[in-house]
Amino acid sequence: MPGRATVRYGGQTSCVEVRTSAGTTVIVDAGTGLRALGQKLARDSGGAARRHHILLSHVHWDHIQGLPFFEPAYSSGNTVEVYALLTAADELQQVIGGITRHEFFPVPLEAIPAEINFHEVDPGVVMTIEDVTILPFALNHPFGAVGYRLDADGTSVAYVSDTAPFTDVLHKQHFLSGPEPLSDEDRRVLAEMRGALVAAVRGCDTVIYDTHFLPEEYARFPHYGHSTPDQALEIVAGNDVRRLILYHHAPSHTDDQMDEIAARYKEQGAAVGVDVITACEGMSLAVGPRGPA
Amino acid sequence: MKIRYWGVRGSFAMCGKEFLRYGGNTTSVELVTAAGARLLVDLGTGATEYAKTLMAGEFGQGKGTLTVLLSHTHLDHIQGLPFFTPFFIKGNQFRILGADPAGSSLKGTLQNQLAPHYSPLNGLENLAAGVSIESFLPGSELTIDEFEVTTAAVPHGTMWTTGFRIKADDRVVTFLSDVEYPAPHRPTREAFALAAGADLLVHDAMHDDAAYAMARGWGHSPVSAGVHLAGAAGVGKLVLFHHSPDATDAQIDKLVEAAQARTSIPVSAAAEGAYHEV
Repeated sequence: MPGRATVRYGGQTSCVEVRTSAGTTVIVDAGTGLRALGQKLARDSGGAARRHHILLSHVHWDHIQGLPFFEPAYSSGNTVEVYALLTAADELQQVIGGITRHEFFPVPLEAIPAEINFHEVDPGVVMTIEDVTILPFALNHPFGAVGYRLDADGTSVAYVSDTAPFTDVLHKQHFLSGPEPLSDEDRRVLAEMRGALVAAVRGCDTVIYDTHFLPEEYARFPHYGHSTPDQALEIVAGNDVRRLILYHHAPSHTDDQMDEIAARYKEQGAAVGVDVITACEGMSLAVGPRGPA
Repeated sequence: MKIRYWGVRGSFAMCGKEFLRYGGNTTSVELVTAAGARLLVDLGTGATEYAKTLMAGEFGQGKGTLTVLLSHTHLDHIQGLPFFTPFFIKGNQFRILGADPAGSSLKGTLQNQLAPHYSPLNGLENLAAGVSIESFLPGSELTIDEFEVTTAAVPHGTMWTTGFRIKADDRVVTFLSDVEYPAPHRPTREAFALAAGADLLVHDAMHDDAAYAMARGWGHSPVSAGVHLAGAAGVGKLVLFHHSPDATDAQIDKLVEAAQARTSIPVSAAAEGAYHEV
């Protein structure tokens, strides 16, 4: 969202950098924010070959469109490891590589100089990247998405985007023009997904959560696959989470509206013992007492 | 005829205060005749801003009709499609006209853009409006309401895109975004024919002349290519377009200044946000 209304909070699509005190960098999501991050990483490397790790929550455009503009991918010697959930396709390379087909982008995947490897993630199955332990867990989003809990430096951060709440709609692998009635089986699946999410974020210092909608907006679009800050607070409150980051802001929300949202939920969070912070681009936060500054 | 740039940026949408005056949206340009006929060229992120104004009128009630021309289907020219809200209103009627990408079809490409893994829309068939996707062969002449459009293939790196010469109200606008000639001072015959005697030439100016040396073969023009063609083809005005994602407002000001120093034809850089009489 370019323009005057997004100068303070930022207008790029999803991308978060997690860095450990040992210097390991794990990138979560590859929206347009990845372009500037890639430029920074390329500069910081001073030309030395590096291995980059990118965890994808899912492959909707706003979470992958930065990938073809990731500068380190254009230096041979570098390696880019991409982790994602496989849905609605046979292989990740076909889906993620598909965005560089000649119809969409001038440089095909095969011509990109860095080595690019694709890794399928499995909700519930722990992965390790250097000194970071990563737990993927399923989220409620059209065609599926995963959140990640990252443990390192004796602290934890969870990335929970994109997801709908677990009450009104169960997202499956078909198009929803509106909410569909829930079966008993659907309710069981939703309860199980919610349970795994609550367990994954328990004890996290910081939880980054899809809070795209205000409650009145959610009421109109419950089938879009996104949550409200109220629903995020409901998941983290009383679950030993110190801090909640409001994230995945709606494209229609201006900086002024974001100020109001930030103030309103700061107060609501404080009432249940959670420090609520509204994400803005360029913001850098220390995670946990032993995290890097 | 009036022109409005809804998206001026090439390759990548840019946010932030360095991009406010010219704008950070990817390509989308609207043409309006004195009688009110409209034509949109390209569906970059700028088209989503245009969509908001359409929704305030008859498109909000499902009574709008619009034709969209696509120069090509690289993402920066179509990424507004899944967020173009009038597509979600039953009753609106759209035609999207473009050339088939090499070895593939226009409709198949846009369908792939909305494939379930990429978009919750899960296919063109879920757009509530009537959207007719029609391929033309570059070189075709198209009549769209009051607009007479000449099309031609122009070189773009290892591929090609479609350039447009659009005539209405006795005025001619030439649209040559995403073009790189064999040399900046050697426009192809087709590009020259599209631009000949145009009132307004909107031309790819992604690189300043110094940076172009590093970017040769990537499919975009240095500023001098548009300046040369404007002079050779005798156009009335030159508009620099498809700004580099790295070009800040201050840098674009300098590009315009440098270009103007080399020609007596009025030069400006496309900026989002206002209608201009052609």
